Amino acid sequence: MEKSMERQYGFYFDSDRCVQCHACEVACKSWNELELGVRWRRVLDLWSGQFPKVTNKTISLSCMHCAKPACVEICPAKAISKRSGDGIVIVDQSKCTGCRSCAAACPFHVPQYGRTGTMQKCNLCVERLEQGKQPSCVATCPGEALKCRPIEVLQESSTKPAERLTGRTNPALFISGRLTGAELLDLFTSKS
Amino acid sequence: MAGGRVDQERDRLLVSRRTLLKAAGTMGAVMMLEKNAKNWLTAAESAGPGEKVIPTFCAMCGPGLGCGIYAYVKNGRFTKVEGMQESPINGGRICAKAHAAPQWVYSPQRLKYPLRRVGKKGEGKFERISWNQALDLIAGKLKEQKQKYGPESLAILSPARRSYSEFLYRFLIAHGSPNYGHSGICAMQKAFAFTYTLGAAPVPDVPNSKLVLIWGKQPVYSGSTRGNLKQILDAKDRGAKIISIKPTMEPDVAISDLWIPIRPGTDAALALAMLHVIIQEKLYEPRFVAQWTYGFEKLENHIAKYTAQWAEPITGIPADQIIALARTYATTKPACIDHGNGLEHAPSSNSAVRSIAILMAITGNLDKPGGDIFQGSQGTAMPKSVHLRERYTQEWVDKLVGPEFPKAFQPGAEGTSSAYYRIFDSVLTGKPYPVRTIIAPGTQPTVSTRGVRNVLEALQKLDFYVVVDVMRTAEMNFADIVVPVATMYESDHPFEFGGNWIMARNRVIEPLGDYKSDYEFWIDLGVRMGYGKDFWNGSITECINDQLKPLNLTMEDLRAKPTGIVFPTKPMEYEKYSKIFGRLSSRFSKAPYLPQGKVAIYNTTFEENGYDPLPVWVEPPESPTGTPDLLKKYPLILSDFHTSKVYNAGWLRNVPYLREVLPYPTLQIHPDAAGERGIGDGDWIIVESPHGRMKIKAQVNAGIRPDTVMALHGWWQGCEELKLPGFPLLETGANTNAMYSVDYAKAFDPVVTAMSSQTLVQVTKA
Repeated sequence: MEKSMERQYGFYFDSDRCVQCHACEVACKSWNELELGVRWRRVLDLWSGQFPKVTNKTISLSCMHCAKPACVEICPAKAISKRSGDGIVIVDQSKCTGCRSCAAACPFHVPQYGRTGTMQKCNLCVERLEQGKQPSCVATCPGEALKCRPIEVLQESSTKPAERLTGRTNPALFISGRLTGAELLDLFTSKS
Repeated sequence: MAGGRVDQERDRLLVSRRTLLKAAGTMGAVMMLEKNAKNWLTAAESAGPGEKVIPTFCAMCGPGLGCGIYAYVKNGRFTKVEGMQESPINGGRICAKAHAAPQWVYSPQRLKYPLRRVGKKGEGKFERISWNQALDLIAGKLKEQKQKYGPESLAILSPARRSYSEFLYRFLIAHGSPNYGHSGICAMQKAFAFTYTLGAAPVPDVPNSKLVLIWGKQPVYSGSTRGNLKQILDAKDRGAKIISIKPTMEPDVAISDLWIPIRPGTDAALALAMLHVIIQEKLYEPRFVAQWTYGFEKLENHIAKYTAQWAEPITGIPADQIIALARTYATTKPACIDHGNGLEHAPSSNSAVRSIAILMAITGNLDKPGGDIFQGSQGTAMPKSVHLRERYTQEWVDKLVGPEFPKAFQPGAEGTSSAYYRIFDSVLTGKPYPVRTIIAPGTQPTVSTRGVRNVLEALQKLDFYVVVDVMRTAEMNFADIVVPVATMYESDHPFEFGGNWIMARNRVIEPLGDYKSDYEFWIDLGVRMGYGKDFWNGSITECINDQLKPLNLTMEDLRAKPTGIVFPTKPMEYEKYSKIFGRLSSRFSKAPYLPQGKVAIYNTTFEENGYDPLPVWVEPPESPTGTPDLLKKYPLILSDFHTSKVYNAGWLRNVPYLREVLPYPTLQIHPDAAGERGIGDGDWIIVESPHGRMKIKAQVNAGIRPDTVMALHGWWQGCEELKLPGFPLLETGANTNAMYSVDYAKAFDPVVTAMSSQTLVQVTKA
């Protein structure tokens, strides 16, 4: 993996190629050997319209390794940090006290707490990235809806119109297809 | 030792790769190696301490040979799975089920050793016995029954077709029984109707198509993770139009340009009405019709009554939408129909599939790029089949206990077959004779076929029931003998062959219990029965090498290529009409499937045997237009999904990573239908039909017809790890198969069996 200072790794999600198969979610659990009940990645559904003109849109979401992560900012134990060189947001399990400040701060309900009570979440399969592999979710996605690259590469290489998710924390996610960034953000503002 | 051979090969390749990289350092050398096995080696190279990466096949679904995977083993434990890059089937991608395989292998539901029932049937009291005892007990019973009642007193139920299926046929034929019990609702129903109309079953050429009609199919959760699904997504990206025909909004509908929300079981009515529009408006290809079809004029007269207006109240699709759909299909060239298993579950199935075949033919979309095409063999030699079909005589067909297809059409493409349900019925009625032993390898009759009440009664009455499985099954407590087999991850055979790819199955871990493989079980039982000559005298090595002879390979040769061999493919030939329309049938007479050498729009073979020569509409046993009187008590239509994103038929609910995705059985219900009944999302509800009840959770969903409710079939297993319950097979359970009619006169297709999965129900809050 290249490590120039400016790089920010992120995800690209094409909602027109996601078919809600949950392969990404289970690949993530299996690869990272997650305990039951903990989800580092989630597949969510959005329904609208009236029969028979119904629309169904999907999003597969994990931690988006925000440029300005709210979790890093709020963590009183300084257990969460943003790596220089690739922008991956990681949790130091030895420092985390399990106070759950991050749960309240994250606009996307990313932080997860298992048996240990400390915060855990997507680490972009950093070990796989270092071996030149894609994160488990991306590598398995049957529809090729997910990609993971430095964010500027994602932007340049997208063959479809794609938008960077806006928002206070500046998440590192590009989305394309029939789901808009506004709809995605709305999903979280209306629910919280 | 299989693992050893793979390890040696990995080390050899890694050493030579490193040496080459060091010595040559040129792109050329690296490229050459990359073509060989780069990705498995990459995975093997990045393995941690104590970790091994073994290439093999996934075993989490069927039919088919399985996707290629890399199985990770750490300190002797199977830990995780990745998709195999080298596999032409899945190209490195796998589904949720494949990823959850280790939890399936280590499930507390696994059988551990052979068992003999010591309590009453259904009670669940067993004692441990040895493999020798199990084989002796089964062979003893089969020999005794063969002598007393004839070999046809044995039936073997068909699991999802994989490479073990032909071993079941081999055992039956060596024994002398024609009773291979096929479900009567899966794949062969479509294959039959297509073959007796077009000479072969066509597949959609999605990559070259401008319009794809996904009809009664779930392309996302069916089959390999790459084939059909990727083709459809790519088609959409390049601007092809996608139309989905099915009762609910599923992921393929969500990506479609248009949804035709058809009522369950009415596909034949829609297809007949489309034929009417296309013929009346002369939107067909007159040259193809004149040269390559038989009986078009007869269809023209016959179809007059099947107007779009006629089909509207039956299908629930407005007439103008049916007309528009027919016009779009007939005038967008090329267009293909991606047909699925949903067409095989109604008494009108044969006519539905025949009508669809005729649509493909008369619109000129048959065997043309972007239409529905006949995929020939890939041009490579094939392994030798272990089927013994050459031994069939008319006597075999005469003795079928409940023919899946009429006797005049047997043996079918796979061999002789009795319908799964009719085998159980023979136990109850004694007609035409009672089957005495049923062996269920990897299949669960109480969740896989309709008429659950009757199946349970038959199991109670049956002389001898043998379960052969990796896991506890729904009706295991009725078994006299339970035979525990290894999962395919614990087995070093056989090889699998499909399309242009062959690979040895490589063992991932040592067996966790007192297991043999399915293959070894049939071979050992064959020897025990005295059929040793037909079963390689008990040698699995000889069995496998015998099959590989036509390819000039041995299992050892294959093992030396851990990710298998990919053969070059022939370029596709189109418009092979005289060849395909002249194909000889699987019947004894070898009479061609199509007597006129043309598309059998009017089917003289059907006519000669007393079946409708032209496609006709048949109502489901219960439906709004067929039995309107029932609507007062049962106002909603019920049908079920055959497949799902995380489960397989009646399996995999015990796998925690999968159960987390779909924790409870649900009934999809439209917000209006739910609202009228005071039902909210997630409420427990009672669903009641004239034939059965179930208790299930409501899933309020705007993407379903308001007059229809649908559930996923196959629920019974609990999940201990998540403390989620299992479900009874009747009454308060969630078994959709208990909900349907099994009236032979109404619920079965008269030609292809096709048991109906439609009924009328009322839904109330529990």
